[in-house]
Amino acid sequence: MENGTVFRVNSPQVVSETIDGEVVIVNLDKGIYYSLLKTGADVWSRIERQLDRQELVREVVRSYDGSVEEIEIAIDEFIANLLAEELIVIDPQPRAASTENSPEILETSGSKPHFEKPLVEKFTDMEDLLLLDPIHEVDVDAGWPTAKAA
Amino acid sequence: MSSNLILSLPSDLNMSIAEADRVAFFQLVYRGFERAMESAGSVDRFYTIGCYTLRLRFAGAGLMPQLAPALAHLEVEPTTNPDLTVCLWDNASTQTKLPLLIQSFVELIQIHWTDYLGPRKEVKAYDGDRIRTNFHIGPNILSVLDLQQNLACYWIDDARNIPYWEKGSPLQTILNWWTTDRQHQYVHAGAVGTPAGGVLLAGKGGSGKSSTALACIASNLVYASDDYCLVTTDPQPYVYSLYNTAKLKGQADLDRFPNLAPLVDNVDRVGLEKAMLFLHQHHPDKIARGFPIKAVLIPQVTGKPDTHISPATAGAALRALAPSTIFQLSGSGQTAFGMMSSLVKQVPCYVLELGTDMVQIPIAIEHLLSQL
Repeated sequence: MENGTVFRVNSPQVVSETIDGEVVIVNLDKGIYYSLLKTGADVWSRIERQLDRQELVREVVRSYDGSVEEIEIAIDEFIANLLAEELIVIDPQPRAASTENSPEILETSGSKPHFEKPLVEKFTDMEDLLLLDPIHEVDVDAGWPTAKAA
Repeated sequence: MSSNLILSLPSDLNMSIAEADRVAFFQLVYRGFERAMESAGSVDRFYTIGCYTLRLRFAGAGLMPQLAPALAHLEVEPTTNPDLTVCLWDNASTQTKLPLLIQSFVELIQIHWTDYLGPRKEVKAYDGDRIRTNFHIGPNILSVLDLQQNLACYWIDDARNIPYWEKGSPLQTILNWWTTDRQHQYVHAGAVGTPAGGVLLAGKGGSGKSSTALACIASNLVYASDDYCLVTTDPQPYVYSLYNTAKLKGQADLDRFPNLAPLVDNVDRVGLEKAMLFLHQHHPDKIARGFPIKAVLIPQVTGKPDTHISPATAGAALRALAPSTIFQLSGSGQTAFGMMSSLVKQVPCYVLELGTDMVQIPIAIEHLLSQL
């Protein structure tokens, strides 16, 4: 992944909210939702700030206890996952990175939390609410107009 | 009556061509309603939705018996200035046809729905900031709202084809569009409590919302919703009842709630449909129009006998509440998500571990409410 690449949230079809350290993300077009915790939530907030890949890695390295190589590989994998799920896209015309809501960067090595690989938890249990199954409560096998058995 | 509702041909120079087309589309749909009204007459009914007055203007006799019972507990005296007017009609009972262009378009959508409809059944080309358009493929219900005029149209070919879920929670699409614009959010949740405060029951279908709400009917708690309701967070978290419908799933629910089984409205179709009853007709004293939200509960069926309540994170509550709401409702997006996020941040959230001893459920909720 190139150092200068900037990403952005794939809005408006992707919406997200951060709440008590958890990021809940909804892909409106696909009927899938996601949860990011800990390092994942932290990296997401830096993506929202439109940091380029290099600066993003640099900030995470300064904030967590872990090798540069380990962090770099984990972040690239995490970003590739977010891109594959179409939760973020590469921004061809990035704005200047925002310092708003910038997470605290811990400089003292003793106080750094251990780096944990950021993970994307994916929930697909509501896909059938979308038009893929166009008729709410239709019997999946018999199709419209047969309703699901009560 | 039509002259004060429908606008003249679009002439605003600031209006984009696309928006002008959508306004023209709305006018033509509305013309269909005028024809129905001229042919079959119309009847108005007024309801309180949240803190707003809704007028339903029915042309013909087809739709009122299908859609009005679910809202009956909210009916109020007529007023001259309702906040929103919805014009409802069907071709069969009014013995009319849609204007030819609209009729052709509706037929085209049914054939090429994958081209014309978005994932939440929005008619892509005709769904904009001012004019919202949705076509519910299957029962083939057309809903169109002009947010500038606070005027909506709701059409189906034959009212007898209204599906039972639409009868149980009618006008979801139009009410969601309109209330979201007013800092009220239509949510997929149950609500039970006391006039002083209650709980929101958040979860997807089958999570136990309806069973919990039904278990509370025979208790000290009142009932605002088993499935869909309206919430606001300003000035405080508050839930408003939308429908007095209660749904029973299969024979198991009929056995579990023997006091409700004789009240089922669609008894002749149980087996094909969820059993449904309108509580306002039988237990009007148990229906609350609304109450402050003191907590969000996430019901979970455990299969064990006893019911327990344990703390949950706000994130878990948001995951239980928001996706099932947003995926079902055309037009829901970041605004709706933000409102639900704000709600779960403002009140404590819990998992409601549902036991099989139904009597314990309202007692556990009452106990929780007494501590909040």
